[in-house]
Amino acid sequence: MSVEFTLNGRPTSLQSPPESPLLWALRDEAQTVGVKFGCGAGLCGACTVIVDGQQTRSCVTPVADVAGKSVTTIEGLSGDVAKAVTEAWIRAQAPQCGYCQPGFVLAATSVISADPKQSSDQVLSQITNLCRCGTYDAIRLAVGYALTSLQGAENHEKGAAR
Amino acid sequence: MSEGGSTLGRIARRSFLIGAGVVGGGVLVGAGVVAWRLGAIDGYELPASEGEASFGAWLKLARDGRVEVAVPHQDMGQGIYALAVMLAAEGLRLPLEAVRAIPAPIEARYANPVMLLDGLPFDEASHGALKQSVVWTFDKILRVLGMQGTGGSTSTRNISAQIRRAAFCMHDMLARAASARFKVPADQLRNVGGAFLTPDGRTATYAELASDAGKLKPNDIQPPPLARGAYVGRGAPRYDVPLKTYGEAKYGIDTRQPGQLYAAIRHAPRLGGRLDRAVIPAKILGVRGIVEGKDYVAVVAETYAAALAGLEKAEIVWDDSKASSVSTKDVFAAYRAALDKGMDFKPRWIVDSAGDVSKASGKEIAATYDAPFLAHATMEPMNATAFVTETEAKVWAGHQSASLVQLMVAKAANVPSDKVEVFTPFLGGGFGRRADLDYIAKAVEIAGRFKGTPVQTIWSRAEDIRDDVYRPAAMADISAKVDGDGMPSSFVYRIAVPSVTDQFVARALPSAKGGMMADRTTVDGALFPFYGLPTRSIENFTVDLGIPVGFWRSVGYSLNCHFVECFIDELAVAASTHPLDYRAKLLARAGSYEPAIRAARVLEQMAAFDKANPLSPGKDGAMAGRGYALTASFHSFVGEIADVEIVKGDLKVRRVHAVVDCGFAIDPPNVVAQVRSGINFGLTAALYGRVDFDNGKVVPANFDTYPLLSLEDAPNISVEIVNSGAALGGVGEIGTPAIAPAVANAVFAATGKRLRSLPLTFGTA
Repeated sequence: MSVEFTLNGRPTSLQSPPESPLLWALRDEAQTVGVKFGCGAGLCGACTVIVDGQQTRSCVTPVADVAGKSVTTIEGLSGDVAKAVTEAWIRAQAPQCGYCQPGFVLAATSVISADPKQSSDQVLSQITNLCRCGTYDAIRLAVGYALTSLQGAENHEKGAAR
Repeated sequence: MSEGGSTLGRIARRSFLIGAGVVGGGVLVGAGVVAWRLGAIDGYELPASEGEASFGAWLKLARDGRVEVAVPHQDMGQGIYALAVMLAAEGLRLPLEAVRAIPAPIEARYANPVMLLDGLPFDEASHGALKQSVVWTFDKILRVLGMQGTGGSTSTRNISAQIRRAAFCMHDMLARAASARFKVPADQLRNVGGAFLTPDGRTATYAELASDAGKLKPNDIQPPPLARGAYVGRGAPRYDVPLKTYGEAKYGIDTRQPGQLYAAIRHAPRLGGRLDRAVIPAKILGVRGIVEGKDYVAVVAETYAAALAGLEKAEIVWDDSKASSVSTKDVFAAYRAALDKGMDFKPRWIVDSAGDVSKASGKEIAATYDAPFLAHATMEPMNATAFVTETEAKVWAGHQSASLVQLMVAKAANVPSDKVEVFTPFLGGGFGRRADLDYIAKAVEIAGRFKGTPVQTIWSRAEDIRDDVYRPAAMADISAKVDGDGMPSSFVYRIAVPSVTDQFVARALPSAKGGMMADRTTVDGALFPFYGLPTRSIENFTVDLGIPVGFWRSVGYSLNCHFVECFIDELAVAASTHPLDYRAKLLARAGSYEPAIRAARVLEQMAAFDKANPLSPGKDGAMAGRGYALTASFHSFVGEIADVEIVKGDLKVRRVHAVVDCGFAIDPPNVVAQVRSGINFGLTAALYGRVDFDNGKVVPANFDTYPLLSLEDAPNISVEIVNSGAALGGVGEIGTPAIAPAVANAVFAATGKRLRSLPLTFGTA
C-alpha cells in the first residue's frame, strides 16, 4: 500500500507504512534529509515541514495524514515569501550549528505566508521551534528583515529588536 | 577536470583572478613541478594530488584555482571553518570566495596542545620559571602525542596564528616571485583579487607565479599583531550560513551510503545495568537483525522507522544485578557528608591557597550553594554511521576529536588505526558531548555485525538524554570573614564534585592513569580569583557516585563562577554597597595583578551601561530586579547584567547585557553571536536545567521533561566588546558562566529572596 501526495511540487508515492512517521519516510525513503530529527515527539520543530500551507511537525504526523496533500520541505521551498525569509536569514547570519534552522525557516515562511501584513511579534509568537545554540536574537532580526522586505516598510526591524 | 560543480565554485571562478590560471579546467601549476618548501617551516606538508600545490601544513592551491586551508577542528556552530577562511584570505590578500576550508588530515602536526595546557594548575598572571618550563615541556609532549581536539574554547587560539603565518609566508613567496618576474620591488606591487599588479599595469596571477615561488626559499614571516584589516576585526559573512539556511549542510545523521541500514538503540534503563537477552518475537517488515550489546540492544533495519518499530516489539530482559540504585538525593547527601567531615575527611586537593585563612578575623558570612546534573541535549541527537570489514573501517559522524575517533574505531573494529577513515560533516551541536565517543564505538560495534554494509545508528531523544555524560552536580560551602567595611579578610571555598577529567581519561584512554594532577576543571572559576582576597583557600572534595560526567559547555566555570559570583553579591549586600562598587573595591585591592586590571576594565563598561540604561519598573505588579556577575574563563573576561521580572512566581529574564574582553575580536559579529549563544545555553540551565536520578534511572526523557529556553522566553541580549589587546582568549563558552549568577542576583534584587540552588525556581522555596 502506498501513500500518494505532492512533495515539493512533484507527485510522489511513498511505500512506508501509512502509520509510520512522515519524518522518517521523508528522510529515508524520499531522501529529503533537510527535514531533521530532533525529538520525535513534536516538541522541538526541527522536523517542521509545510503541509497545505500549515507548519507541521513531521515526526508526529503519520504518512497517511498527508495523502492527497502538498508537502514542502526545505529542499522545495520557493516563492516570494520563502525568498524573503531565506535572504533575511542569511543577512542576519542566523545559523550557528544550523541543525534546527531549516525548521525555523519553514515555520517562518508558513506563518508569514498566511498573512504577510502581520507584525514581527505576531509572527514570532507562532514560531515555537527550539534552538540549542540560542540563535534567538538573530532569528528575531531575520523575521524583521523578511517582513520589511515583503512589506516595504521600516517599522518591523525595530519591532524585531523588541 | 570538471567545471567545478558547485555554484560557489562558478562564482569564485568569475570573481577572482587566481582562476585566470585555470586553462580549460586544468591548473597551470604542473603536477610535481612546484616544490613548495613551506613544509620545512611547517614541519608537515598537506598531501597534494595531481594538479594541486601544497604550501605546507595549512594551505594548498587546489585544481580549481582556489586556496584550501586545512582546519584540524570541527565546526559545531562556533564558525571555526569560516574563521580559517577569513584569516587565510586576509593574509593572502584574496577575496573570501577564493578560499575554502578543508578538514586537516589526522596527523600529529595538527595537535591541539592549548586545550590541555589550559588545564595546568597555574595562575594565568604568573610568568615564573616553573610555569614556563612545565608549559614548555607539556607543549612538546602534547605536540608529539598529536591529539587533535575541539573544545575548551581553543580552536581560534590554537590555529589562528599558524594560519596567519602560513598565509603571510605564502604571500611573501608569491610577492618575491612577482618582483623577480617584473623586476619591480615587491613593495611597489599591488594585490588585486588574486593577482599582483605592477605600477605600469602588468599582472600575474598567484597560479601563474606558483611555480617560480616554489623555487624560492621561504622566509619565516611573522605576521603583524592582529588589527583591523579587510576582514579581521570587522567580520565577514560565514560561508556555511547559506548552506545551513537552505538545508544543504550535511550532518552526521544525513550520511547516506549505498545499501545503508539503520539501527535504533536502547540502553539499560538503570546505570550500570546490562543486557541479559533480547529477541524480536515476530518477523517485522524491513528488520534485518538485532544486536545484543553489553548494556544496550540495537535493532537493525532497512529504514529507521522499521528499526524503531522492531525495537518497540523487542522482548528485552535486562540484568540489573550490577545496576546502580543511585538517586539525586544520595548524591547531595554524599557531598554534604564530605564537606561536613571537614579536616577529618582529607580533601583530595587544596588547589590554591594564600595566607592563613584561620588567622583572619572579623564577622563570618557563610553560604552553601548547589547545582544539579545537566544534559547536553544537542539538537542533532547522537548518531554515527559505520562501515566495517575484516580489514578496514570507515565512520561518518560529528565528533570533537578526529584522533580519538581513529583510535576508538580501530579498537572497536579490530583494525589498525591507519585502516580507519574518519569523515566529519557539520555537527548539530557539540557543547562537549561529542568529545565522549562512546556513541561512535557502539555504532562501529553494531556495524561490525553487518560487515561490508554501512549501518547508521541513531539515538532517540530519550536515549540521547539518558546515555549522556552529564555536567556534574556540585555543592559548595563558601565563607568569608569581613572587616568593618564589609570587605573580606579571608575567603574559603570548598566544593564537592566528581572529576570530569578523571572519568573522561578512564573512558577514552583506559590504559592512561588519571589523577596525576588536580583536576583543574573542578575548581575553574574559583581558582586564582581576580579579586584581592588577602587570605584564601580553595579546596576540592572529589565525590563520585558513579554517575557519568563529562565536559559541558564551560565545564567547571559553569559551577564555580555561579557559586562565587552569587557569594560576592551576598557580601556586597551585607556591606550595603552596590554590587558593582563592591566588586570595584575588591579589584582595586588586587593591585597590579593582570587579571584584576582586565576585569576592572570590563566592570567599568558594565557600570557605564548600568548608568545609561536604568532598570525598567515591572509591569502589572511584576517585581523587577537587576543582577550582575563578573567572570574570567578560557582567558577571556565577561561581565553580564541581567534584568528580570517575577510575575506570580514565574521568573522571566527580560534583557541581558554582556561586556566581553577576549583580547581581540577577530570576527566581532561572530563573537557577539557566540556570547549570545553561551548566555542562552546558560539560561536553559539557570531556569530549567536538571537531570535527576531515581534508583539508577535517568528521570528526564525529552524536551517536555528537560525543557530548553524558547524563542518566546529568550531575552534580548546586547554584547559589547572590549579589545584589551591581551593574548587571544576563548569565545565559544565564555558567555555561559556569568548568566546564572547574574539572574540569581537579579532575583535577589527583585524579591529579597536568595536562591542558592539551581535551577532558579520559586515553586518550593
